[in-house]
Amino acid sequence: MNRILTALAVGLLLPNALFAQRNLKVIPDTNPDVQRDSFIVADGFEVNLYASDPAIAKPIQMNFDAQGRLWVASSSIYPQIKPGQVANDKIIVLEDADHDGVAEKSTVFADGLLIPTGVLPGDGGVYVANSTELLHLKDTNGDGKSDTTRVVLSGFGTEDTHHILHTLRWGHDGMMYFNQSIYIHSHIETPHGVRRLNGGGIWRFRPETMELDVLAKGLVNTWGHHFDQWGANFATDGAGGQGINYVFPGAVFLTSPGARRVVSGMNPGSPKYCGLEIISGSHLPDDWQGNCITADFRAHRVCRFILEEDGSGYVSRQTEELLKTKHGSFRPIDIKMGPDGAIYIADFYNPIIQHGEVDFRDERRDHTHGRIWRVSRKGAEKVKQRDLVNSTIPELLEALKAKEEWVRLHAKLILKSKGAKAVLPELVKWIANLDQTDSTADHQLLEGLWVYQSLDVVNEPLLAKLLNHNNPQVRAAAVRVCGQWFEHLKTPNKYLAAGVNDSHPRVRLESVRVAADHPSLESVKIIADAHKHSIDKSLDFALWTAANDLQSVWLPAIEQGEIDIAKNPQYWLFNFTSVSSGDIVKPALELISEDSLSSDVRKHLLNLVAQRGNAEHLGILFNHIVEIAAENSARSTELLSALTATTVARKIKPQGDLTRLASLLDSKNSALVQAAALAAGSWKLESLRETVTHLSNDAANPSHVGAINALARFGGKESINQLNRLAITGKTYQQKRLAVEAMSRVAPILGSRRAVDLLKTMTADQNPADVLNPFLSRKGGGDMLATSLKDVKLDSDISNKAIRVVRSTTTPSAKLLEALKKSGNLTSELRVWTDQQLKEITQAAVKSGDPAKGELIYRRKELSCLKCHAIGEAGGVVGPNMISLGASAPVDYIVESLLRPSAKVKENFHSLIILTDAGQVVSGIPVRRTDTDLVLRDAEDRQITIPLDSIEREKEGRSLMPDGAMDSLTRAEIVDLVRFISELGKEGPYGVDSRKFVRRWKVLPYSNAANGRLNRTSTDIAATDDPAFQWVTEYAMVSGKLPIDGLPTFKPHRNGDLLSFVRAEFDVTTAGEIVLEFANIKGIAIWVDESPTPIKKQMKINWKKGKHRLTLAISRNDPVAPLQVQLLEAKSSGRAIIVSGK
Amino acid sequence: MFLRSLFCSACSLLLFLGLSWTVQAQENKIPRAWEDDQFQLVDGDRVVFLGNTFIEREQRYGYIETRLTLAYPNKKIIFRNLGWSGDNVRGESRARFGNTAEGYAHLQKSLELVKPTVVFVSYGSNAAYQGKAGLAEFEAGYNTLLDSLDKYTTRIVMLSPTPLEKLAAPLPDPAKQNARLAVYRDTIKDMAYKRGYLFVDLFDQLGENLELHQDKKVNLTDNGLHLTAYGYWEASFPFAKLAENSKSVSIASPLSSKQSGAVQKLRKTILEKNELFFYRYRPQNETYLYLFRKHEQGNNAAEIPLFDPLIAAKELEIDKLKQRAVKQK
Repeated sequence: MNRILTALAVGLLLPNALFAQRNLKVIPDTNPDVQRDSFIVADGFEVNLYASDPAIAKPIQMNFDAQGRLWVASSSIYPQIKPGQVANDKIIVLEDADHDGVAEKSTVFADGLLIPTGVLPGDGGVYVANSTELLHLKDTNGDGKSDTTRVVLSGFGTEDTHHILHTLRWGHDGMMYFNQSIYIHSHIETPHGVRRLNGGGIWRFRPETMELDVLAKGLVNTWGHHFDQWGANFATDGAGGQGINYVFPGAVFLTSPGARRVVSGMNPGSPKYCGLEIISGSHLPDDWQGNCITADFRAHRVCRFILEEDGSGYVSRQTEELLKTKHGSFRPIDIKMGPDGAIYIADFYNPIIQHGEVDFRDERRDHTHGRIWRVSRKGAEKVKQRDLVNSTIPELLEALKAKEEWVRLHAKLILKSKGAKAVLPELVKWIANLDQTDSTADHQLLEGLWVYQSLDVVNEPLLAKLLNHNNPQVRAAAVRVCGQWFEHLKTPNKYLAAGVNDSHPRVRLESVRVAADHPSLESVKIIADAHKHSIDKSLDFALWTAANDLQSVWLPAIEQGEIDIAKNPQYWLFNFTSVSSGDIVKPALELISEDSLSSDVRKHLLNLVAQRGNAEHLGILFNHIVEIAAENSARSTELLSALTATTVARKIKPQGDLTRLASLLDSKNSALVQAAALAAGSWKLESLRETVTHLSNDAANPSHVGAINALARFGGKESINQLNRLAITGKTYQQKRLAVEAMSRVAPILGSRRAVDLLKTMTADQNPADVLNPFLSRKGGGDMLATSLKDVKLDSDISNKAIRVVRSTTTPSAKLLEALKKSGNLTSELRVWTDQQLKEITQAAVKSGDPAKGELIYRRKELSCLKCHAIGEAGGVVGPNMISLGASAPVDYIVESLLRPSAKVKENFHSLIILTDAGQVVSGIPVRRTDTDLVLRDAEDRQITIPLDSIEREKEGRSLMPDGAMDSLTRAEIVDLVRFISELGKEGPYGVDSRKFVRRWKVLPYSNAANGRLNRTSTDIAATDDPAFQWVTEYAMVSGKLPIDGLPTFKPHRNGDLLSFVRAEFDVTTAGEIVLEFANIKGIAIWVDESPTPIKKQMKINWKKGKHRLTLAISRNDPVAPLQVQLLEAKSSGRAIIVSGK
Repeated sequence: MFLRSLFCSACSLLLFLGLSWTVQAQENKIPRAWEDDQFQLVDGDRVVFLGNTFIEREQRYGYIETRLTLAYPNKKIIFRNLGWSGDNVRGESRARFGNTAEGYAHLQKSLELVKPTVVFVSYGSNAAYQGKAGLAEFEAGYNTLLDSLDKYTTRIVMLSPTPLEKLAAPLPDPAKQNARLAVYRDTIKDMAYKRGYLFVDLFDQLGENLELHQDKKVNLTDNGLHLTAYGYWEASFPFAKLAENSKSVSIASPLSSKQSGAVQKLRKTILEKNELFFYRYRPQNETYLYLFRKHEQGNNAAEIPLFDPLIAAKELEIDKLKQRAVKQK
């Protein structure tokens, strides 16, 4: 009653916001039996209810203790405490004393909490993440309830309650790990100093020493983190879409504030995942050991991934789900292995997820239910639970040999609690007596080292032994320990020097990170050696980060002559390139003058000088450019363009006699002439103006393009007059258009009149966007065009097209829209949808929408859906991925987002509108912001870098999705489209498919040039990089099928077949056999890379590491079934990523 | 509920009118500077505690606030805790999505919410990790902050950082940091003197010259840095000394078995009030309520000021309890 009235009261204040969310969504039956019966479980497994409401409500995190009891953090208050509400969230302890797989006892251990998001038993009590604080609660009188609260750490941010401190875990090393998400900013005092973390990341904490640091930064919602048995870390992301992420120390992932570079996850195009458990134990099949279990909480699935080593990192591939359902309230958000070897799943149980887009007080939010499900293997024996708590020290040490992580972890924690004095004598004996012939001997030894680490006792001889172990997994883990013990070791750098030269890339990566974490000239030298070995993606990132971490050491050392950079130019080129400082230019210039330098290194160093040099450096570079122009005009052009770009961006000019440019304007190379013209304009070299003006007049000379542009750079009356003249009397449309574009920068008002002139005479094959965009991207440009349009008549088609262009900007000028309507004599308005209409569309979509028709609408080129919104791996990245949208978003939300794009905007997809000091308006989604630049992604998926000091104003914009994007659709089409989107990710034909299909194809569009090449040579030419072939992207359907009908066709020979050509690209990360399966092969010829190869249903291709491709010629004489190609990872010995994206 | 909320808004309107009337009446009587360099609270005072973790955690123990509350049982005084973990004189911890300048602006906004007439301010423990190298920057930043407090009042008490306690290994040996803290303490003391503010030397009174207020020696911290409940109880005595007349009422140590009576009820109510104020000035989900996603859930920000009448009701309770506590003595 109260809740309804509150909603009413708030509703009266802001009716729209609330009523827009109302819809007819069916709230699923809350009966646990109904839910259980809906589960589809992996073959050979079964599921039972371990615990349920009312014992628990809204479980968020759970962890088992050493007695096998399950501790659950739960919150009914989430997402926000109401005034007058008492913070009374709970920590519940569930117990299954009779080991029948069902908890028969539940105890409220603690209450009075505010949205506790993490719980971890340990140190004689339990750690609880409670809003801004990490607490340690203890029951000192044995009544089963907490009676003592200690604040362990405080200062965690709370900017978003589903981002706050979460995912608490103990590591193999006796340290506690916990995470925070993207919006959180934490500032934590420790006796070792203040630790700050802005944005997401994984913290690492040793409670007994209060040492706290950050293992890795970034990710959106790192709601899952675990390690394999060797201590390699993995994380999942509840809002990023890259599946399992391999986390190494110092790794930086997407969204980390200020990051100039990030690493990516292993399954791009994935749905979002919550929770992560790497499984172990005798209850589960052998081939499941070390697999990842995580939950697609939006699509109600619990998923399994297989991890494999790949260079210095890993690859992860998805396999059959553990469990899935259509039950709309099943929200699996945490997964843990239990003491009986079964898999436990915390079910937050809610038809509504998240509170960013759906109102805090939405009535459909469930605050009372919650479940823990237990998934076990039919017929397999349960793990017999050990009584660790009452075990002796030798027994606990023996427990470290267990197959189950739960046993090993708690044995180590109990050993830690017994203290070094008691444990050490037994530990020494245990290690000495380990059976070297045991199949897990390597791992046992490593556990021994971790016990030392847990006890805070440094054992250098043991560490040295493990660093030399013949198992690379052991060596890699030992290097991590070396980092933790660094200050206490006699010869840490000696170990690292060996480590960076290790035969295994991951040992090298771990060693590079430790060296970078302990800056010294020595570590700079050590890391140089890592460059002598093969470098893959993760290692390259580690080396790049190391160059930055150590900059404060090596840069002064170079300046003071303590490092001879000429000895290892490659290393220094890498370091110089990695950092952003301009101070590297001086040493770079010195290095350039070394005779022995390879031309490649010299080339890259010169590029650096062009990007970062000061006026004096740029003067030296300018002279170099002029001197090489005659013999190498292409290189001269490249450098000159870079030099010009830097001088414009940084508002500086090279020193010296710049009129030497004159000789370049005479070059036969048009590209060089244009670059020189632009430079002359940018540096305002009046003595060269005449030459440039002359060039701009000559429409037959390709150089006129650059020259027109250059005139705008010169600026001044003369330029304006000349451009105006060209805009009126230019010989070609292009010449006029370029002049108008240039005018938009120097004389926008006059330019807008010329733009309107062009619109007046525009033909159907010309695009109004080219004329309008230069003005629309200027402050007030739209209004200027509006004024110039007064009393002007336009062709109604042109006018219509122009209106679409204007609407697709983030701040459409109302005046211009009005003027265009008038000029084109149009009456059409932007369709405005009433709440009632939205409601009707929602109802119709649920009742009668046709998802198959909807998919075809989604794929229509003119709607551009796919251009911005990928479904899994197919499509663009400008907007949110739709892969499991239907399973997570209420239908009314989808309808509103389509028809009122800016009403609700997905996390991370808010645009920024930037006004630069040059009057330019740039809008896009922020990709990253560093100390110097802001990078935006615009609606065309271009990344635009804006120097921070050129930003005059910055404001938050709306969605990049234009208003009226759906206006061309009929109501019935919208209904089908909504239905399609609402099915995405739901169990069924539009659900998430764990099979790996080629989803991005390159298609060869018809052109006379292309047809000519095919006619004059053989079809083999299609498999090459011939410039006549301009391949375009086409995406497969959700089913993985690429429709062949409608693909462009060629008929190279009169009597030959009618053919279509498509291509798939692969990035092979581990060399070996790659197995591909074709759904049908009739009428298809295939080239593997460039060699024609007989096609089979299952093709086994031996590929080396690197980029590869398949080219297919498809005979179109007869109708052909859609193309479907699947990568069979399990059958392949090599590893390949199917290239997706644009 | 709707009727009730209407009623509540009417209440808060009355309350607000009433409050502003009394504030008007009293404002003239509230001094802007300490008289005779003497600590004294008066009717209508709004006391702010500003600083880093030391201040922030006081709100969950409340010994200092209870001590000061009991020193003035017959006066209407409110206390507001604006401590923020990890903070420094530039308000760095309060920046959220912005840069330090935004942190400082946020700090100023929080001050404006309370409009203090007295400020206890405690910074320096985090800056001290920089040692002497950071001293000039610290002093300049602190002066800027104090200048901004001047807008409201010059009845300011500067607190030195608390010392680090030497606890057993593997916790770090605090000797080096304590040496640095001593230097910062001297600077703060000097600043207080120059600006005519009061100064409480917690570094000294909780460090070398700690006078235990119970027989048994117990650690003041559990990690060397942060005070425990007992630590805050000991830390409240220097404040008692500051407000001389507060010695009269005793507050049971958290280690004592006698945890009942009016004083404890008072302390408990103060903690409840602190929690409510925390929700008011530092609510969760600020991203949606006030910051860049307010266009989505900003409507819910209307709830936040609804904590004000709840806080006001707690203040009334505190007023009653403090008088009862003094009578019961």
